Amino acid sequence: MQPIRDKDFDQLFKDAFADAEVAPSRDLWSSIESEITPKKKRIIPIYWLSAAAVLLIATVGVLVYQQQDTTDGDKRLANNTIEKSNPAVRVQAIKDSSATIVAPVENVAPALPVRPKAVSAIAKTKVKQEVKPAVEQPRIVTAPEMQKQETIMAKVEEPKKDIKAKIEEAILQPKEETIIVANPATVKLDEPVNENEQSNKGIRNVGDVVNLIVNKMDKRKDKLIQFRTDDDDSSLASINIGPFKIGKRNKK
Amino acid sequence: MKLTRSYTINDLMEGCKAGDRKMQELLYKQTASKMLAVCMRYAKDRMEAEDVLQMGYIKIFQKIKEYRGDGSFEGWIRRVMVNTAIESYRKNLRSLNVVEIDEAYEQPSTGFDFGTLGMQDLMKVIQKLADGYRMVFNMYVIEGYSHKEIGETLGISEGASKSQLSRARAILKEEIIKMEGFGYATYTG
Repeated sequence: MQPIRDKDFDQLFKDAFADAEVAPSRDLWSSIESEITPKKKRIIPIYWLSAAAVLLIATVGVLVYQQQDTTDGDKRLANNTIEKSNPAVRVQAIKDSSATIVAPVENVAPALPVRPKAVSAIAKTKVKQEVKPAVEQPRIVTAPEMQKQETIMAKVEEPKKDIKAKIEEAILQPKEETIIVANPATVKLDEPVNENEQSNKGIRNVGDVVNLIVNKMDKRKDKLIQFRTDDDDSSLASINIGPFKIGKRNKK
Repeated sequence: MKLTRSYTINDLMEGCKAGDRKMQELLYKQTASKMLAVCMRYAKDRMEAEDVLQMGYIKIFQKIKEYRGDGSFEGWIRRVMVNTAIESYRKNLRSLNVVEIDEAYEQPSTGFDFGTLGMQDLMKVIQKLADGYRMVFNMYVIEGYSHKEIGETLGISEGASKSQLSRARAILKEEIIKMEGFGYATYTG
C-alpha cells in the first residue's frame, strides 16, 4: 500500500519547505514595533505620584512636629503673661470664657489668612486641638486671647443657626466640647472668618484630614493636594506642586 | 537570499545590534515571510503562527547581541524562531490539557492534480496533525533534530519521539492519499 520509503517521504516535505514563504499580515510589524518600543507613558505618572506621596508624608511629619513645639511655646508664653498681669484681669478673663467658651474657634483658625501674626500662633495650637479632640479639654482662656475674640464678636452681627448645626454634625464627639459648640454665642465666632468650605464639613474621612492639614500650611488657591470629599470615598481632586498640576478646583 | 535593498544581511545584523529601528524593520521585511512559513508548520493555523512570529522577532531583537557569527545569520534567526515555536507549544501544553485527536479529517479537496502537491497542501496536512505529532515531525524531518534532542526538548522519552514520528508519518500519508484521491494511491501502489 505504501511503497514510498520514510526517507523519500521526509525528503518530499524537506524540499517543499526549504524555501517556503508565507507573507505575514501587513500590520504585524507595527505590533512588533510597539512591543519593542519602551513605554514611557505609564512611568511618569507613577513617578510623580510617588514623589507627591513622599512629599506629603514629609510635610505632615514636619507640621506635626512644629505644632507640638508651638503648643509648648504658647503655653509657656500664656502662663508668663498671666503671671505678670493684674490678678483682677485674670479673674475676669476666666469668668468671661465660661460664658463664651472658645473651643469652636478652633474649627476656623487654620484657614484664616487675614489674622494678625501674633494670633496665628494661638490659632495653630488650636488646630491641633481639633485634630485630636479627645485629648484636650476646654481651656481656660488667657487675657490676650479673650480680647481677640471680643473683637471678632464685635464684627459679627447675626448668628447663623445652620452653621451651628453643621458644626454639631462635624465635630461629633461624645465630650463636653459638643455641648460647648452648641452654645449660640460661640457660633458667632465661626461665621465670618472662614472662607474655606472644607472646615465646616468636619472630618469624615482621610481626605478631609489631608485637606485640613494642607489648608493650614498652603494658602494658595490651588492647594498642594486636595481631595474631593463630597462623595463617601475620597477622590483626588487636585495636586499642585509648583509647575506640576493635576485637576482644578472648579471641577468640584 | 535575495537582497532587494542596498543593505546586505550583515549590514542589517549590525544595525539591529545597534538598536537601529529602521534596520530592524528592514531585517523583518527581508526575513518575515520565510519565518512565517517556519512558524506555520508548528502552528495549528495562521493566527497562532503570527503570534509565534511576533514573539520570535521580539526575541531576535532582544538577543541579537548574543549572535557571534557562528553559522549564517539567517540560520540563527530560524533557530530562534523554531525555539520560540517549541516554547509556545510547551506553554500551551501546560495551560491546556491537550487532547490528541487523530481523526476529524475534512473531506478531501477535489480537482487536485497529482504531482502538483505543493507546499501549501503539505502545510495543511501538517497543521491538521495533533500538536505532539506535529512537533516531533517538524523537529525531526525538517529541522533535523535527533530523537534524543527531541525527547529532551519536549520532555518525552526517545522511544516516544520515535513512535510519535512514525505515527505522524502514517497519518500524513493517509491524509495525502485522501487529498489526492485514488490517483495518488494508484500511482504509489
